[in-house]
Amino acid sequence: MNLGPLNQRLLVVVGAGGVGKTTLAAALGLQSARGGSDTLVMTFDPSLRLKDALGVGEEARERAVKVKSGTRGSLSVALLDARTTFDRLIRRYAPDDAAAERIFSNRFYRDLAGNLAGILEYMAVERLFEVAGEGNYDRIILDTPPTRQALDFLEAPDRIVNFLDSGAVRLALKPWWEQGGGLKRIPMRIAAKGVEQIVDRVVGVRLLHDMVEFFRAFTPLYDGFRQRAGEVRTLLRAPDSLFLLVSGPGEDRIPDTLFFARKLKEAGHRLGPIVVNQVHPVAPLPRAAAPAFADGLSLFHYLGERDHRGLERLRKLLSRAEPLLAVPLQAAPPTDLADLEALGRVLLSQLAR
Amino acid sequence: MKLFDALAHRQLVVVTGKGGVGKTTLAAAIGRLLAAGGRKTLLLEIDPRESLHQLLGTEPSGGQIVKAGTRLTAQNLQARAVVDGLVREKLPVAALAKKVIASSVFQHFADGAPGLKEMAVLGYALRVVEGHYRHKADVVVLDAPATGHSAAMLAAPLVLADAIGGGQLGDMAKDLAAFIADPDRCGVVLTALAEEMPVQEALELIALLREKIGRPPELVIANALYPPFPSASSQGRSSDSGTGAVLDLWRQRRAVNERELKRLRAGWKGPLAEIPLLPLDRGPDLLAAVEAVLAEELA
Repeated sequence: MNLGPLNQRLLVVVGAGGVGKTTLAAALGLQSARGGSDTLVMTFDPSLRLKDALGVGEEARERAVKVKSGTRGSLSVALLDARTTFDRLIRRYAPDDAAAERIFSNRFYRDLAGNLAGILEYMAVERLFEVAGEGNYDRIILDTPPTRQALDFLEAPDRIVNFLDSGAVRLALKPWWEQGGGLKRIPMRIAAKGVEQIVDRVVGVRLLHDMVEFFRAFTPLYDGFRQRAGEVRTLLRAPDSLFLLVSGPGEDRIPDTLFFARKLKEAGHRLGPIVVNQVHPVAPLPRAAAPAFADGLSLFHYLGERDHRGLERLRKLLSRAEPLLAVPLQAAPPTDLADLEALGRVLLSQLAR
Repeated sequence: MKLFDALAHRQLVVVTGKGGVGKTTLAAAIGRLLAAGGRKTLLLEIDPRESLHQLLGTEPSGGQIVKAGTRLTAQNLQARAVVDGLVREKLPVAALAKKVIASSVFQHFADGAPGLKEMAVLGYALRVVEGHYRHKADVVVLDAPATGHSAAMLAAPLVLADAIGGGQLGDMAKDLAAFIADPDRCGVVLTALAEEMPVQEALELIALLREKIGRPPELVIANALYPPFPSASSQGRSSDSGTGAVLDLWRQRRAVNERELKRLRAGWKGPLAEIPLLPLDRGPDLLAAVEAVLAEELA
């Protein structure tokens, strides 16, 4: 099966939550493997059903797992876990075990760092880079975490790196940093004045102390992180990387979809076809329906109209160079490889049109 | 209205759920029901892109309080603005507050610190019902942000109270954690679709709420259900040509809904409201229809 414009080394599937990104990523992966490419699908949190359909379990958190797909190329799946990846990165870049342990035992890292805004997104691209560098696959399909805003995903690496930038933190936390650590000494600081004193009072001395300790422990690791983030940025903008934007049907999704598309392009990414997923079929108005069916059929008539109205509007708003693929709502979520295979074929048949 | 009463005397009703499940519509419907029941209600939306006003048929809020009906007001707030507002409140001297907000350590902290924005929003709601502002309300209905896990939002004060360990923010986090944990004051409504991932997430969220704030939600709402497929006996000559595929889709989508509702009920014994998928575009008509169904479900 020819993947057409999706014949890229890296496909990044983006879109709002609940639009079926993960399932589409898996279906595409299967088609890619059928076409003879060794393919890896990296995903966050697939449903149990999808995991069953692919035949992978929790072990995929630690390493990529091969799917028994019977395809010409191999299909592998890796599940992304932010905390595991963060921990592993710290171990890699830490100069020694003691430095890593200092970070792991820090309260700021333990309680808060795993929840840092954007950390999930950062870890996704980080792991992507790791795998891409190993060169074991012809094609990688990255299913991104559900974020309401495209920016969250695209900007996360920069934001996290900026946050972890101990130079900037040192400057920001200068009055606290220069205390030379030691929990006991900070509260007794007499020289604190003006803004510092207020920040002490508002934010709390203990948290500031934990933060300073964290960033202090992080300093030797920072250069590795920053370099990596730059490489990731380059990879996402490489000529054989393509973003596939998935949207839900209906007119009320259009603003989100256009916003996403614009942001991707502004950030210098290559945007592939836009996929409108879960489109209700055009249904005739029930004329001779039995009473028990009349309301339901009217509802489906409305849903078909609504979704196609949305598609038409979106088509008008996009340029000719931006193809739009409509994937019909499936009767039920895929439960096995055959279902996934069928879904992938629907998607590719749209591409061929 | 037993179920309704359970919500009606709260000061804060947090409506949670993932994006795309109709959370904002359900939050607005709950707000209208509470207002109709006699309580002065503020509908609070935390989303950079406003959508509540489309449903209510009002002007966009742009941060301001907008009147949306008898005893009903609405407001859209940006989380970061609430954080800055918090500092201004804690620091009565305007010039000092400005300095702190502009300081790099604060910028760094406000952008990065997880849970801070969430906590600031909850804190704002608390101060509204406690009458710190001119626009006092009896109850705030919060349309919780769709990003991230909503349990994280509700657990934010507790986590932060622990992590901060002191300072005014730490004290505030402690107060808020107590407010959230108090079933007489704060209620949680969880919205979901009767599909596999949303139900999975709903069940996980219920467990998380039990773990993090010590109690389950007051109400779970399954939204946008396909209508029951007519039984075999009523089928007869049901369709003209061309509806066969639609009937098949209907039957199967409904089967998915029923299977997932069953799974939800197996893990959630508390109140569950079911809202059908309605043939209406997003707007005041849809809101009125959802409100009517919800009123019946809660009765």
